[in-house]
Amino acid sequence: MADNAAHSAVEVRGGARWRGLLAGIVCVGLPGLFVFAPLATFLLYSFWRNEDGQLVREFTLQNYRAFFGDATFLRVYIRTILLCLGATVLNLVVGYAIALFIARRDARVRFGLVLVFVLPLFTSYIIKIYAIRGILGHRGVLNELLLGAGLIDQPLTVLIFSQTAIFIGLVVLYLPFAVLPIYLSIERIPPNLAAASADLGGSTLDELRHIVLPLSIPGMILAGVFTFVMTFGDFVTPQMLGGIDGFTFGRIVYTQFGVALNWPLGAALAIILLITAVGVVFFATLAGRWSTTR
Amino acid sequence: MNVHSEFLRLDAISKSFGTVEVLHDVSFTVARNEFLTILGPSGSGKTTILRLIAGFEAATSGAITLDGARIDTTPINRRPFNTVFQDYALFPHLSVRRNVAYGLMVRGMDKPAIDARVAEVLAVVGLDNYATRLPQELSGGQRQRVALARAIICEPRLILLDEPLAALDVTLRTQMCAFLKSIQRRLEIAFVFITHDQQEAIAMSDRIIVMNDGRIEQEGSPEDLYLRPKTRFVAGFFGENNLIEGRVSGIETATATVETAIGLVEVALGTSNLTVGAAVQIAIRPENINVLKDPQGGAAFVVRNVQFAGASIIIDAVDAQTGSVELRVRQAPGNALNRPAIGEEVAFSWAAQSTTLVAGEPSDGG
Repeated sequence: MADNAAHSAVEVRGGARWRGLLAGIVCVGLPGLFVFAPLATFLLYSFWRNEDGQLVREFTLQNYRAFFGDATFLRVYIRTILLCLGATVLNLVVGYAIALFIARRDARVRFGLVLVFVLPLFTSYIIKIYAIRGILGHRGVLNELLLGAGLIDQPLTVLIFSQTAIFIGLVVLYLPFAVLPIYLSIERIPPNLAAASADLGGSTLDELRHIVLPLSIPGMILAGVFTFVMTFGDFVTPQMLGGIDGFTFGRIVYTQFGVALNWPLGAALAIILLITAVGVVFFATLAGRWSTTR
Repeated sequence: MNVHSEFLRLDAISKSFGTVEVLHDVSFTVARNEFLTILGPSGSGKTTILRLIAGFEAATSGAITLDGARIDTTPINRRPFNTVFQDYALFPHLSVRRNVAYGLMVRGMDKPAIDARVAEVLAVVGLDNYATRLPQELSGGQRQRVALARAIICEPRLILLDEPLAALDVTLRTQMCAFLKSIQRRLEIAFVFITHDQQEAIAMSDRIIVMNDGRIEQEGSPEDLYLRPKTRFVAGFFGENNLIEGRVSGIETATATVETAIGLVEVALGTSNLTVGAAVQIAIRPENINVLKDPQGGAAFVVRNVQFAGASIIIDAVDAQTGSVELRVRQAPGNALNRPAIGEEVAFSWAAQSTTLVAGEPSDGG
């Protein structure tokens, strides 16, 4: 009896160990295989070079030198950062307003409203881009409206195939990624804090400024990171809406792989893109920690 | 309580949520410097009263007046009342100092004045050394004090406390009772305290309003309610009470005779206007009953259980004849005579003055 019990206890422990090992393999192995291995390959490629379409497997820093030594690369890099920062800031402002609007509605309609604003995520990317082109184009909805209203007498050319077009496109396409985390962080604030603020004499503005805004900083940081990292890496939107004027860093990286077939340079640029993104996440984390330990 | 010092008046307040009426025709006043407790079980409407006074809800009908002027439509942030919330509702991202300063900050007071006042109030609640802590770094009792400090710093006319002791353990609750009462005396502000705990109510209140099912059941001093409950609900809710059903069979000047399952019982008449034949209940406190070892004096009871409870011995007994009257008796533990054996037959006695008549059929209320 006692022997049996001891035996089955060992068995259970043995089973648990196997399950633990399996879980470890899945948790470490899958990301390792599908994320870190490709990244490591990229890193390796970025230190090789391309010679007449042939890959030369010798260590070199020439790809990175090309980036830092070429004013064109640097200019596009800086311009893309500014473009994406702008899109991020605008997304945060608009996303915050929308999230606040939803959070202040009755509990029963909130979920429906969230769905409405997140619905674009369920739609194909290409369809969304063509829809935006339909709105921003020379004979698009926006120009026709402005013409019809007599506000302009020539279609605005800046609306399509320009940095402005990319900017508008990025803001529209990535807005749901800003709305969601902000909404979730506002919704998590206990309602009795608003009650306490009002009870102590605070106006709605006081509550927003001193309670809701500070407590939703984690959501804002997440929203900012999402928007920036995703817009920075996006190359389809700039290509579809930017035309010849709309060169962004993501497009350059894409071009090295898909058009110029210079994989080592593309890999180096991709690594720079990755470092930029990781840097943003790092500073956002610092900002988050600073905001909560004040 | 001085009648002229009443400054807040609730007049025929009713409140419905949809088709559910949670308050029915509630009227009472609050006097200056008064510690008023609204006592009732959950669902009795006591929290709704607090939310109406604070301004979180609007009454369906009736009026709330402050110094004679109606404040029903005054927004929450313009009412000179502050609330200590049940779960404190401290701002988690602000230090103790900034939590307490909140009410002054939104009023636009300048920083040096705020700092001085915050230091003063933190000293009052005994938290001088905790100004820079965050709420999550405090114990339950300390959070409670911060919530209180945050409310009193605005110098409100009235502080509303919504079951603030519910989350504390028993020892701390007793301490906080004494603390709240001393603060209230010191500040000379009216406190309206919401609770379902009759011991807290008795310990702190100048006056208690007992709520049941959205109505005021009885209102009075702790002594009034404890010694002279008017309804079966109050008699049952307010401490332990034995209830014996019966019918009035005779009325004299100061006493009445009630016919019960254990024979004729003489009771104090009190103020209620009784008629012969009316159905009543006799309420007797367990501590007001004496054990008679010699069961000649009254109806015989069989002892069901004897339990030592520290300060007293609890004796549960049932009448030997019909088995329909159950009594709980508390006796001082020192006296061996007061401790009958289980199964023993005893008789009980009590003074007519220590009984109260509670009107109504047993099926009423409670």
